[in-house]
Amino acid sequence: MPEQTATTRYDAAVIGSGPAGLEAALNLKIRGKRFLLFGSPDLSRKVSAAPRIDNYLGLPGITGKELQERFTAHIAGMDIAVTPEQIQMIYPMGDFFSLASSKATYEATAVILAPGTFSARLFPGEDEFLGRGVGYCATCDAPLYKGKTVAVLGYTEEAVHEANFVAEIAARVYYVPVKKTGLMPREPVELLEGPVEGITGDTKVTGLTLGGKSIPVDGVFVLRDTVAHSSLVPGIALEDGFIKVDVNMATNLPGCFAAGDCTGRPHQYMRAAGQGQTAALNAVQYIDKKK
Amino acid sequence: MTELDNVTFQKAIQGEQPAVVDFWASWCMPCKIFAPVLEELSDELDGKADFYKLNIDDYGDLAQKYGITSIPTVIVFKNGEAADRMTGVQAKEKVLAAVEKHL
Repeated sequence: MPEQTATTRYDAAVIGSGPAGLEAALNLKIRGKRFLLFGSPDLSRKVSAAPRIDNYLGLPGITGKELQERFTAHIAGMDIAVTPEQIQMIYPMGDFFSLASSKATYEATAVILAPGTFSARLFPGEDEFLGRGVGYCATCDAPLYKGKTVAVLGYTEEAVHEANFVAEIAARVYYVPVKKTGLMPREPVELLEGPVEGITGDTKVTGLTLGGKSIPVDGVFVLRDTVAHSSLVPGIALEDGFIKVDVNMATNLPGCFAAGDCTGRPHQYMRAAGQGQTAALNAVQYIDKKK
Repeated sequence: MTELDNVTFQKAIQGEQPAVVDFWASWCMPCKIFAPVLEELSDELDGKADFYKLNIDDYGDLAQKYGITSIPTVIVFKNGEAADRMTGVQAKEKVLAAVEKHL
């Protein structure tokens, strides 16, 4: 990977492309801020999968798919692009935040977190062996598995790409589609199906239990569509598993705001959008004070 | 922060004051963000703890020996023993607390 030269300092970075993240981006755009919107090209599966939405003001009976199409058209019309990278980590550096995806690092004065819920239940052994064979970023840690056997537990299309990449380095790679996507890994990745029952080992990972069978592996990458809030932003204050915010959508870290399902219940599209707007407008004030 | 190699590593971790080793690699984006945080701690704890970097691409055998499977990993050594370890980027206060335990 080429060395990065001088990093551009953006006014803001928005994490997540659901209603909260999009509404935040929209308001940042209207206020003339320079920002990046990190998310998925298809925006939000939680929106597009909804069969029918009856409580979105002004759009009664709209389907999730239609709402998603309107979102897409709206942000495209405002000249807002989605950067399709999963941010692995955000770190407060004092006057700004550093952000890292598996591909690059970024800098922003303010951050708006709208990654949705982290609903995944951890696999047995996942926490115990974290950093001892369990990892969350295959492209980051794959070089440590040269000549070894690795299992990738995948939830997204990105996970399939990462499995293909790991196969260029590791001796043997298994892919377990925990969530099915349209994409399948290519040879020499071996496909394994069945419910994941646990990750086993002694001082390090030695195996994966799947559908009652134990498969010897040296490492397991768990590639979900969201990163746990506490590892996404080290030092962020949580409450009942959600990001703790005040009425301005400010978190405990100055310049870091949060909106949408990650801040708590009820998990509703309009609540998310409203919080995204509040977060963005308060972020704008914060950014302007810094200048 | 001094970069260690196979030889200087052995000497660095034997000290009575804590030696904090950042296992990193150039392709690791989170490592890039974590490095300046450790630099700051290194200055703040000057004279109390020593901070080092070890590039796992160059010294894979050491990474293997200490079971490094995910980076960044920071290990706090005292008298040659790995006394504490943290995987992933940590809040500064958390690293500080882990080092202070061994002062």
